[in-house]
Amino acid sequence: MSQAPVNIRELLDRRKVGYSLEAPFYNSQEVFDADMKHIFGKHWMYVGVEPDVPEAGDYMTVQIGNQPILIIRDDDGEVRAFHNVCRHRGSRVCTHDKGSTGNLVCPYHQWTYNLEGKLLFAEHMGEDFDPSKHRLKPVHLKNVAGLLFICLADNPPEDFQELVDTMTPYIAPHQIANTKIAAQIDIIEEGNWKLTMENNRECYHCTGNHPELTISLYAYSYGFAPSAETDEGMKQYEEMVKERHAKWEACGLPSAEVDCLDTKISGFRTMRMPLDKEGQSQTLSTESACKKLLADFGDAAIGGLSFWTQPNSWHHFMADHIVTFSVIPLSADKTLVRTKWLVNKDAVEGVDYTVENLTAVWNATNSQDRFLVEESHKGSKSPEYQPGPYSPYTETLVEKFSNWYINRMKTLIGD
Amino acid sequence: MTTTLTLPDFSQAAPSAWQPGVDDTVKCVGIRQETHDVKTFVFRSIEPRRFAYHPGQFLTLELNINGETVNRCYTLSSTPTRPDTVSITVKRVPGGVVSNWLHDNLKVGDDVSVLGPSGEFSSFSLAPNAPKYLYLSAGSGVTPLMSMSRAHVDMSSNRDIVFLHSARSPSDVIFARELQAMSRHQPGFRHAVICERPGVDEDYAGYLGYLSAPMLELIAPDYKEREVFCCGPAPYMTAVKNVLQSLGFDMTHYHEESFSFETLNAASEETADVPAGDADSSSDGFKLSFTKSDLVVSCQPPKTLLAAAKEAGMRFPSSCSQGLCGTCKTKLVSGEVDMKHGGGIRQREIDQGWILPCCSIPKTDVVLDR
Repeated sequence: MSQAPVNIRELLDRRKVGYSLEAPFYNSQEVFDADMKHIFGKHWMYVGVEPDVPEAGDYMTVQIGNQPILIIRDDDGEVRAFHNVCRHRGSRVCTHDKGSTGNLVCPYHQWTYNLEGKLLFAEHMGEDFDPSKHRLKPVHLKNVAGLLFICLADNPPEDFQELVDTMTPYIAPHQIANTKIAAQIDIIEEGNWKLTMENNRECYHCTGNHPELTISLYAYSYGFAPSAETDEGMKQYEEMVKERHAKWEACGLPSAEVDCLDTKISGFRTMRMPLDKEGQSQTLSTESACKKLLADFGDAAIGGLSFWTQPNSWHHFMADHIVTFSVIPLSADKTLVRTKWLVNKDAVEGVDYTVENLTAVWNATNSQDRFLVEESHKGSKSPEYQPGPYSPYTETLVEKFSNWYINRMKTLIGD
Repeated sequence: MTTTLTLPDFSQAAPSAWQPGVDDTVKCVGIRQETHDVKTFVFRSIEPRRFAYHPGQFLTLELNINGETVNRCYTLSSTPTRPDTVSITVKRVPGGVVSNWLHDNLKVGDDVSVLGPSGEFSSFSLAPNAPKYLYLSAGSGVTPLMSMSRAHVDMSSNRDIVFLHSARSPSDVIFARELQAMSRHQPGFRHAVICERPGVDEDYAGYLGYLSAPMLELIAPDYKEREVFCCGPAPYMTAVKNVLQSLGFDMTHYHEESFSFETLNAASEETADVPAGDADSSSDGFKLSFTKSDLVVSCQPPKTLLAAAKEAGMRFPSSCSQGLCGTCKTKLVSGEVDMKHGGGIRQREIDQGWILPCCSIPKTDVVLDR
């Protein structure tokens, strides 16, 4: 669809707080290019988990815009990231989604790098060739208690360390390093990545669209407008949360809400929330999907620790499993949503869990969300689309996402 | 400079004989290339000496290799009926310190300390009056039996001898022409060859495979009347014994080169230096076979599997040749290798049976899935 050139600066400046974004934010190529340059080029992005590369020599690849990235565990057990671009003629060094290798060898002419990126061997290059000038280019990587974040900027946002410091005690008890990926499902939504993120940041749509997910989610957990009918329920829910938090915190499980989604460059939010009914897991029965619990959890009913990051992830940590989501824009109107389900690495499929039961809720939910995102995306292309107001009660986190995005873009794009 | 040894005055009485167990110095006076990897080294005594020994006995060479004194036994391939020289016939052996040193370094004119002769394996001492012999050999195990055969032919003993030699291919048959000549010269002497494969001689029409009971019954139907002398690698001799026993042969008439090949550690370099007879079927290198290309080549340490494959003309995906890049990574179907890689393969891949042929040296015959 051809569009008139957009002036991003003007669009940013006239964004109305509390309202959804103007159409070009969702469907213009210029905005998409700016998003890739500034949002995905300069912030920490969530791309995978330690069990993606469980052993030395294991690697995974990920494509961020036009940048192929390689993540590998070295012989010291450290996870590292590199630009997956051979210093010879640019071929991707690792071509599979995942694999295992001794050294990193470009398949084109076998230039061979060690796992620290040092060029070890390049045939036919003559005496004057200096291998030390042709290392694989490193990419910043942070391992947050098993969640892998990368940043493509030369100078990544320093406040990410606050996220690391805050979140490590929340996440560490779930012991990601001792899990395995029981399932991974990639879906491509025909919609802009911001619609995917906005949809994730509210549950206004949940009752009407997510019959599976709402089995275990308390209706009050994502806010209600005050009214005579709901005030009592809200109050009871808040009392319960206070009580559960006290109990969980006493067990060494940080639970309190932390929200800096739009107050920091590396914006995030977390909270451990009670789950309904049996209270164990986001499953159709609300009971654990995996009999072998994570870490050394004795009690399965420890609710769900949720963790949201800007610009591209959310995660739910339960006693029996972890579900983790990364959002990677493919084009202005195509977005990859990658979901991974982690269980205790000693759990046996078919004995301790079934993939079907483990993935049932979020498979259904993802599919429903895709439909919602795609419908929004279609509507945003109409000349009659205009930004609408967010609910001040149930869409506060959407506003925080949009606000964060607009502020980051304003700062980075300049005048 | 090489000093020329004076020839004996044959009109005079013979000089004194070689004494068993006494040190002597001999000079290498001739080297013959018998096959592509077998050489015969001919020695004469510096002191006027007549070499006396039983055909089938060995001498011990004392060599200085890389500053170390090394002693190795080699069966004499020569015959005491020509007493002015002795010869040993040596096959290159994978990793063999001494056999490879001899091939690569010993020159005509060089002096060598020797101790000898000794050994019990001789039809001339164990069964001198047997009317019929069956000589069985494989590889360089041919040497003691060649010595016995030459002695018989030189003496026109007119014994009934069947000499059955096993080799990898026709081009690996040591003394092929001389054995033919002896068969012509001596009515009672017959020889036959069994080759594992035709090799480059695609028109080879002789016996193929390994010595078997039917083959033996065909070649020497009266084998039960024969005194059997056998020398070759341990697996060969075991196979021979099995064949004979399966046929009900009276094993009191069976004699073998009694050096204990079996006790030699296959992994050790010393494997190479098989004493007496230097008999090792793999002495032209280990057999390297490829499942997909149906190619069989030999690979002699320290040559790598990749180098052997390339020499055989095989296009093998590879690059660094240093165990870094892993391009040549291949499943090892069978066999053992000594691999010194540079990070191009992970331990768990090795555990799953993968190797890098570019930095792997065979320790046994090897089959690769290529």
